[in-house]
Formats: sequence, C-alpha cells, structure tokens
Amino acid sequence: MGDVYDTHMSQFIPPTLFHTAGGTWTSVAGAVTGTIARNIAAADQTVLVNIPVVIPSNSSGLKGGYLKSIEIDYEITEADCDALTAVINKVTRGAEGAVAVVAAQTFTQTPTTAVALAVDQHRLVLTLATPIWIDNDVYVLVEVTVNQALTTVVQFLAAVANFDLRL
Amino acid sequence: MGSVHDTHMAQFIPPNAIHFSTGTITYVAGQVAGTIVAHRAAANQTTLITIPIVIPSNSSGLKGSMLNSIEVDYEIQVAEPTSLTWTLNKVTRGAEGAVAVVASVTKTDTVAAAAAKTVDQHRQTITLTTPAYIDNDEYYLLEGAMVAGAGGNTSDFLGAVANFTLRV
Repeated sequence: MGDVYDTHMSQFIPPTLFHTAGGTWTSVAGAVTGTIARNIAAADQTVLVNIPVVIPSNSSGLKGGYLKSIEIDYEITEADCDALTAVINKVTRGAEGAVAVVAAQTFTQTPTTAVALAVDQHRLVLTLATPIWIDNDVYVLVEVTVNQALTTVVQFLAAVANFDLRL
Repeated sequence: MGSVHDTHMAQFIPPNAIHFSTGTITYVAGQVAGTIVAHRAAANQTTLITIPIVIPSNSSGLKGSMLNSIEVDYEIQVAEPTSLTWTLNKVTRGAEGAVAVVASVTKTDTVAAAAAKTVDQHRQTITLTTPAYIDNDEYYLLEGAMVAGAGGNTSDFLGAVANFTLRV
C-alpha cells in the first residue's frame, strides 16, 4: 500500500490530443463560445478517432493509475450518423524488435449506441467491466468509429478519464 | 485531507497540445535550437490560440488540483499585431443531451496588453484571482485572441506551464 489512494481522480484530455484518421479534420471553435473542438467535415464516409488515455502508469503492481471509465464529449449536427461505436484497446508495448499487442476490453456504455449516433450533444460514458492498473509497458486507446451520413458533421470537444491513483 | 498536499506542482503543456482556430499553423523548430514551436504564418486575420489546461481533476471537493496560474511562452516576430488579449475560461461539461457552459474567470496578467504584443520573447503569467479546485465535470481553457492587423504578424508558441496545488 502506498501513501496515496484516491478513488476520485479524473484527467481532462483535450481534443488536440485526439488522433484522427480519414476524412477532413479541422480545429475549430466549438458551438458554445469559448470551447474548442476537432471537427470532421460532412461526407458519406467512415473515420476513426483514437483518444490516448494519458494518466499515470507504474512499474509496480497495483500502483499508479487504475482506469475505471472514460467519458467522451461530442456533438452531432445536421444528420444522424449511420453508426458510432467505441472500443477500448489496451496496448502492450513491444520490446525492442517486437510489435505491440492490442487487446480489446469489455465495457458497458451510456447512452446506448442507438442514442449515441443521433443529432445532439453527447456525453458517452464507457465503463470497464474490469478496471485496469496501467503498467508502464501498457497504455490505453479509446477508438471511436464514426460512420457519417452524407451531411453528418461531428465535433469532438474533450474526454475525461476516471481513475484511482495509488502511490 | 489527502496524504499529499504539494503547493508547488507544475505541468508543461507542449505546443502541439495547443488548439488554433483560423490561421495557418505549422510545427517547426524554434528559434533556439532544440526547442519546438507552433508557428503562426503571417496573415491579416484574427487567430484564437486556446491552451487546454491538462492537470488532474477530482470528483471530491477540495481535492485533486487547485489551479493557481498559467504561464505562456511565445515570441512575436517581424511585426507587432494590433492586439493580443487573454481570457481564462472554465468549461462545465454538458450532461448527455446538454451543451457545455462557459464562464470567464477573473485573473491578472503580469504583462500588460500593450507590452504583451511587442516584437520580443514573452512569458505571460495569468494568475487566478481566486484559485479553484477542478471538479471532474470541469476543465479550463486559456484563450488568446490575436488580432494580427495589416502587418500580418508571425509568431511562435513554445508552450505553457500550469502551476497548481495537488491534494490527493
């Protein structure tokens, strides 16, 4: 046991840290003045957004960050997406000369996928079925697959990781 | 009370975490070898430079991070812009189906507006009048509004540092 064991820690992850693949992305002011967003332009296409979960890790077992859930703030305008789904991937880094290994994690989500793809402001909460102590050889990426309809526009504002910190 | 109460914590925020809207931004080597910057190309337009304050938050009251101040390192080159002003915003995240709410935070600047836009290297320190613990439903964005004017102005943003108290 360490001297710190805080079960209410959170970390804001700004949209500038999101990794986006496919489509035309721009950094824009958010719909609410004073906010910022990454905007995917309208097109009938599928794009990927990967959110790096930048919380502390630790090379000792059962110490560092214990990831419990991730929340994603985004807004869909103009038209519902055809689909919007998330995956939580735990990436175990490769040793020198070896590839990384990716393992999808089991989780629950609110709202449902049917609601999460609709035109609206969203706070998508992904809760790990089994929270993870983050080893120093491990990191977590949340991958969101956005299947846009022809006129769908999506803006990603932020993510927040919720975790225990034990030091 | 937690087991840690450190009043001297600081977090470097690199230039590639800074959000720019309007303007042509490239990521290049800084003027001093070994540094990195986000470079704004000359153009007669207004650019918003928004710095996300990426420090821990906490769902318990009076725990996590208490944000005290933010320092911004940048360099104005070639021509002085018409103005460069800083606003500190606290964003309260929206619930599912609701928009975020933005509130401007009262603060002081160590470099006056007239001096902060001169051709020079700058370290602008923004100090919160009332430091605040950051709830898990909140985050802070420091927004610089640069009105470039006819000279166009080029500028380099090297990064920022958030100063905070950590209580966990």
